[in-house]
Amino acid sequence: MIRKLITGTTLLALTLGGGLLSGCTTSVERMAVEESSDLSGDWNDTDSRLVSEEMIRDVLSRAWITDFQSQKQKVPAVIVGDIKNLSHEHINVATFVGDMERELINAGKIEFVASRSERNEVRDERRDQDLNARTDTINAMGKEIGADFMLKGTINSILDTDGKTQVRYYQIDLTLISMADNRKVWVGQKKIKKLVKRPGLRW
Amino acid sequence: MKNRHGSKEAAFRAVSLIFILTITLIGSGCVSFTYQQDVLEKHLMLQQPEKALEALDDQKLSDRDKVLYHLNKGILLRMQGELQASNAALEQTKPIIDTLDALSLREQAAAISVNDAMRSYLPPLFERAMLHTIMALNYLELSENNSARVEALQLNELLKQNGGNNKLPFAHYIIGLIFEANDELDDAMIAYRQTYNDYRANNTKVPLLLQQDLLRLSEYLGIHDEQKKYQDEFQLKEWPTQAELKQKGQIVAVIFNGLIPRKHSQAISAASFNNGQLHRISVPFYETRIPQIRSITLLAAGQRSQAELIDQLDQHANANLRAQMPAIIARTVARVSVKNRLVDNASGQSPLLGIALNIATFVSEQADTRAWNTLPQNILIARATLLPDKYDIELKLDNQYSKLWPDVKITKDTLHFISWHWANSNATGTRPR
Repeated sequence: MIRKLITGTTLLALTLGGGLLSGCTTSVERMAVEESSDLSGDWNDTDSRLVSEEMIRDVLSRAWITDFQSQKQKVPAVIVGDIKNLSHEHINVATFVGDMERELINAGKIEFVASRSERNEVRDERRDQDLNARTDTINAMGKEIGADFMLKGTINSILDTDGKTQVRYYQIDLTLISMADNRKVWVGQKKIKKLVKRPGLRW
Repeated sequence: MKNRHGSKEAAFRAVSLIFILTITLIGSGCVSFTYQQDVLEKHLMLQQPEKALEALDDQKLSDRDKVLYHLNKGILLRMQGELQASNAALEQTKPIIDTLDALSLREQAAAISVNDAMRSYLPPLFERAMLHTIMALNYLELSENNSARVEALQLNELLKQNGGNNKLPFAHYIIGLIFEANDELDDAMIAYRQTYNDYRANNTKVPLLLQQDLLRLSEYLGIHDEQKKYQDEFQLKEWPTQAELKQKGQIVAVIFNGLIPRKHSQAISAASFNNGQLHRISVPFYETRIPQIRSITLLAAGQRSQAELIDQLDQHANANLRAQMPAIIARTVARVSVKNRLVDNASGQSPLLGIALNIATFVSEQADTRAWNTLPQNILIARATLLPDKYDIELKLDNQYSKLWPDVKITKDTLHFISWHWANSNATGTRPR
């Protein structure tokens, strides 16, 4: 009886000890970028990707590009303006804006011009070139391309919570405004809804 | 049969020894926690947050106190002006708090058999509200108004989930300021109205700042009935209008005054007439503190604006403890019964083991005195309206101390935020009230 008890206790101790030790080790598993992994229910890379995909598909399929190209005979230049996060979460909007910029530039249908802060940095560099670079390699001031459209937007959220269950609704609205006459030439919208259930018990 | 009895006895002895060892270790942990808090407080009293942070980092806190570590670190970093690092530390508490919201049966069992500090520290509502307000203030001082707005929404959601009727004026007032800084004046009005309701519910005087905010915004938003109500109640002849403020910039100075009173343990010990067994029950209570600073003045461009008392966190702390006390007492009583039974059984097996276990259970009976001790005792706010320009802004305490923010650029139609922690305060007694 005692032997059985000792054997049982030893096995239990070894199992628990093993479990604890494995819990102490950092484990890293590589994942495909497209793979969805919802851990906390918060805004994550999957949401960001879904938004950029939806917006790119929409913005490229609308008539404003062809209208502009037939009128001006050039690819429209767009600048990214203020994209306000009005949601209840700290969301990095730069990720899906970056995705959008890359896809749209690579598709060859839109040109993006640098944002205000990026422009200032580039201008500083040009000023520096003016003073320090070889004459034949200097990029002169005053040759920047003015944007034809400005992309602005908001991320909003609504929460509905009952105890440990929460519905999170996100709405992302992006608007493309003509710099010439303030016309809104495109409005894109993406909605994401999640049901998050938190456990009532833990170890 | 004798063998089986012998093995049972051996097993019971082993369990008892493990219990003694465990609670001896816990006992030493409790002592060091109190001692470490003393060290931290000593540095804070001398306005040395960098040394307090070193002391905090030297602490050997268990996983159960992880939230407290990050909360204290957040305050100590912001006291040193490291606002981004402060928010990074405070942000770390949020997922932990979410996890701790679920009930742990293991921790509850440990609380019933050893003491309440065996549970992970889950901040009470007013501390969780302060987490968001401090993060929001960090963002406001960094001119990241959108991020401050995120904190305001999270704070709103927290207060809503906890019944809505929370009576936390500073939390509601900072939400109002955040919406105002983001030019969302209707939402700011709602938050200021909630702040007003908090003062009414607490039977405390409505600060002049809030009176002016309510009159200004109700007038601007055309809520005339409400404006008349406030005019009748406050009897103010004039207040800055929204149109006037649009042409100027505002400086909002938040002063965290003193340190929130600390929790101590109040124990009652007795020996049993029957078997001489030692019994102890221990419950927490808050010491009383008198804030050293009574008056703070904001000086800018020759203007003097008196800071007003916006909230008293010691009152929230006491109210929270009062609300928790029935559950604390219930757990304490249950614990006495569990420990007595354990000691009785041990004494039956071996009188010596019984005595050892009795001492261990007696020593382990400690009240849970953990709290976010780097919070201030009270919060004051001063506001000044200035024409767009550069100014030296100074906060002057009613002792010889002051703090200067040189060359602060005030821009039109913008709220500029500054804050200062003055942690020095007097503990006047460590007896329960």
